[in-house]
Amino acid sequence: MNESENMTREVAAPVRDNAEVEAALNRRYEAGFVTDIESTSLPPGLSEDTVRQLSAIKGEPEWMTEWRLAAYRHWLTMPEPDWAKLDIAPIDYQSVSYYSAPKDGPKSLDEVDPKLLETYEKLGVPLHERAKLAGVAVDAVFDSVSVGTTFRKELAEAGVIFCSMSEAIREHGDLVRQYLGSVVPVGDNYFAALNSAVFSDGSFVFIPKGTRCPMELSTYFRINAINTGQFERTLIVAEDDSYVSYLEGCTAPMRDENQLHAAVVELVALERAQIKYSTVQNWYPGDENGVGGIYNFVTKRGDCRGADSKISWTQVETGSAITWKYPSCVLRGDRSVGEFYSVALTHHRQQADTGTKMIHIGKGTKSKIVAKGISAGRSSNSYRGLVKIEKGADGARNYTQCDSLLIGKQCGAHTFPYMEVKNPGAIVEHEATTSKISDDQLFYCLSRGIGEEDAVSMIVDGFCKQVFRELPMEFAVEAKKLLEVSLEGAVG
Amino acid sequence: MTNAPSPFVRAALDAAAGIPATGIAWLDAARRENLDSFAADGLPEGRSEAWKYTPLRALAQRALALADRGAAGALAVDATRIALPGVDGDRVVFVDGTYRADLSTATTAGVTLLPLAGALAQNPEPLRFALANRYRHGAADAFAHLNAALAVDGLVLRVDDGVEIARPVHVVHVSSGGQADTAWHVRLLLDIGKAASVDVVEHYVTLGDAAQLGTVVTDISVREHGRLGLVVLQDASTATTLVRRTHARLDADATATVHVLELGGALVRHELQADVNGDRARFDSRGVFALSGRQHIDTQLEVRHQARDTASEALWRGIADGRSRGVFRGAIVVAEGADGTDASLSNKNLLLSGQAEIDTKPELEIYADEVKAAHGATIGQLDERSLFYLRSRGIPLSQARSLLTLAFCRAALESLPNEALREHLGDLLVANLPTGPAAD
Repeated sequence: MNESENMTREVAAPVRDNAEVEAALNRRYEAGFVTDIESTSLPPGLSEDTVRQLSAIKGEPEWMTEWRLAAYRHWLTMPEPDWAKLDIAPIDYQSVSYYSAPKDGPKSLDEVDPKLLETYEKLGVPLHERAKLAGVAVDAVFDSVSVGTTFRKELAEAGVIFCSMSEAIREHGDLVRQYLGSVVPVGDNYFAALNSAVFSDGSFVFIPKGTRCPMELSTYFRINAINTGQFERTLIVAEDDSYVSYLEGCTAPMRDENQLHAAVVELVALERAQIKYSTVQNWYPGDENGVGGIYNFVTKRGDCRGADSKISWTQVETGSAITWKYPSCVLRGDRSVGEFYSVALTHHRQQADTGTKMIHIGKGTKSKIVAKGISAGRSSNSYRGLVKIEKGADGARNYTQCDSLLIGKQCGAHTFPYMEVKNPGAIVEHEATTSKISDDQLFYCLSRGIGEEDAVSMIVDGFCKQVFRELPMEFAVEAKKLLEVSLEGAVG
Repeated sequence: MTNAPSPFVRAALDAAAGIPATGIAWLDAARRENLDSFAADGLPEGRSEAWKYTPLRALAQRALALADRGAAGALAVDATRIALPGVDGDRVVFVDGTYRADLSTATTAGVTLLPLAGALAQNPEPLRFALANRYRHGAADAFAHLNAALAVDGLVLRVDDGVEIARPVHVVHVSSGGQADTAWHVRLLLDIGKAASVDVVEHYVTLGDAAQLGTVVTDISVREHGRLGLVVLQDASTATTLVRRTHARLDADATATVHVLELGGALVRHELQADVNGDRARFDSRGVFALSGRQHIDTQLEVRHQARDTASEALWRGIADGRSRGVFRGAIVVAEGADGTDASLSNKNLLLSGQAEIDTKPELEIYADEVKAAHGATIGQLDERSLFYLRSRGIPLSQARSLLTLAFCRAALESLPNEALREHLGDLLVANLPTGPAAD
């Protein structure tokens, strides 16, 4: 893509149009390059030894190794889940390498391999000087390890801990031990158990009492090496009266093999704490024939443990060949609030089965779900959500809205909401619609001289507005662009 | 699946051993196959998505013998017990699954009403498609397998092409409630001819208190431009377990409208499935359940749009009080190529007690893009402001509650054209409505 852009600038005016057309035609997955960097990897295969080796490489304490092994043993006893509306080719867990890291390992940010920095520059992730301007603290995870975290000093002054998970296990063992697995237990589900056994890195965030995190925190995940899986683990703890906004982005090179990504994210919000978690997921989706792409199996769960706490998930899912992801809120504290805003776009042969769970336990708890699905090409896009009101959740309220937009005749858009209510004081509402971009809307735009692709992207943008509004500004811009690129060639 | 067959499965196998062969090779083979599937898969367990909210552990432990056909054939049934206002056409009565010629009538021209055995004796071939059907969903289809293997009685109703029947046909399923731990099975086949029109009232009553199981599988075919109005009134005793499957196929320009009122039953499951196969066909369904005590009612609606410009509307209401549990799944499936589909579903529920539970799952599965599909579902309480409005006009709280509850449910019955029957269903509903929390 960069090359094409340069070309556009160089060529003379008369042929510019052609070059632009060419550029548009060539535009595909922009993050699909590979960084040629030496790396150390564990050989493919999974056994207790792999788990031990992994733990040893990371210099983890005994309790962590045992924790991993317990998860691994449990994983062996579990069947692969098959309830999602996904058609998944069998996964050979023995052919995956469970650890890959740039050879010279993570050091201080100033010493990071320039090639790596270049990679993140290319992806538009500010790791160095630009970071200062952007004002977002970034933890960059490359394959299995964190390669650098920015703004550490500023954050430390505020008392905020923001570091890689490996570092947290070493430096803040007690905190990690207290909270790790307390939201997503090791045996929670098949992929969470696998992650618990082999997670290699991720981010750890701790916001102490009464602290408002002075800047947006962000983790950028990049899969680079071939035949590796990425298994990151993120843990965010917000103590009483604290606030944090966290962003997450991800990309991977274009390859013909399917690569496995199984992450676990745990959020803990204590009394009156607020966590805002935003994701722009842009893993490589595979090509138009469904070859290659990331298998994305993610367990994300927030626990509103304290009264009056709030957890808000916002996600824009445009990548991955397969997405299996249900960011959830356990509303334990009285009057706690859970929110879920999602845009999931599938094109070509992508499959997404995504949604949320809102478990109301405390009194006066509230949740809101806004899910927008866009299907194009031959893709399949399902919303699957659960709203559960337990007996003690007096006065609980939920409002759910799911809308699907179909672009093309061969795609599928599905809605599977589950509502389970055991409290007569609760109110649960669900609405869903499915429609296509209407000819009237298109005609209106076309008659005003707006091209078909622009018109579609405007209409899609309007359809998603409710969700984009929830994203931090830079992310909203990125998400919008991403949708445009992902939808290319969907009409006409 | 399970190591040892449950008492329920063992008893069903014993019962099957006592059923004589019909001599029709394909039918005997189909019965045997269904029995084998049932024996192999057993009853669905908790992991089965289709039975997620309806556990059958207690039922699996019950060994149910077939209800005694001799006693069923001789049982005196008071006609006033089964009569319904506004339903004055032909009547077909089954007692514990046994066809009762003495209580049944077949006088209307253009309509064929035959007991299953009679229809098979005349010409089995037209029934082959329905009776040799294979159900492919393993344990989730357990009761369909069971019914296919054990239902020796049933009804074949045919309406000739172009015939419009004004007076509703009354199909009554009487559970004797006489002997505990017995089961009965009935198979119904409704074939509505081209441009024919008929109304059918399917009516469930119980006489005694004994706990029985009944299974009914109904296959409906509505031909081009045909029309069926089906009303299901389920007023069984609270000791009765009923598992019903109603499957309708609609050809081009056909319409079917189903109204369901579920009042009684201990454990009731109704699977209402429609394949809207012909262009411009329409399937509408409306239903109400009003539960109290320990009742458990599970409605599984699935409407599959397979042709162009088809339509469906579903409007369902539920009320759960006491320790009851109401389950609803409403799926709209729009197949590839079914452009022009217009489908909607609304499911609203009132949860009146802290021990009751409502589980609802409206689903959309859409594979075509020229489609309008929408669904909405709510679980909540009566509107406080409406209550306040009524009370401010001097209506006592308890009365205000029942008025609003009734209004809530009636929406589903209002569209029933048979006025006398509609009034009667409304009265039954009022009599069955839970009173809700006591007045302040």
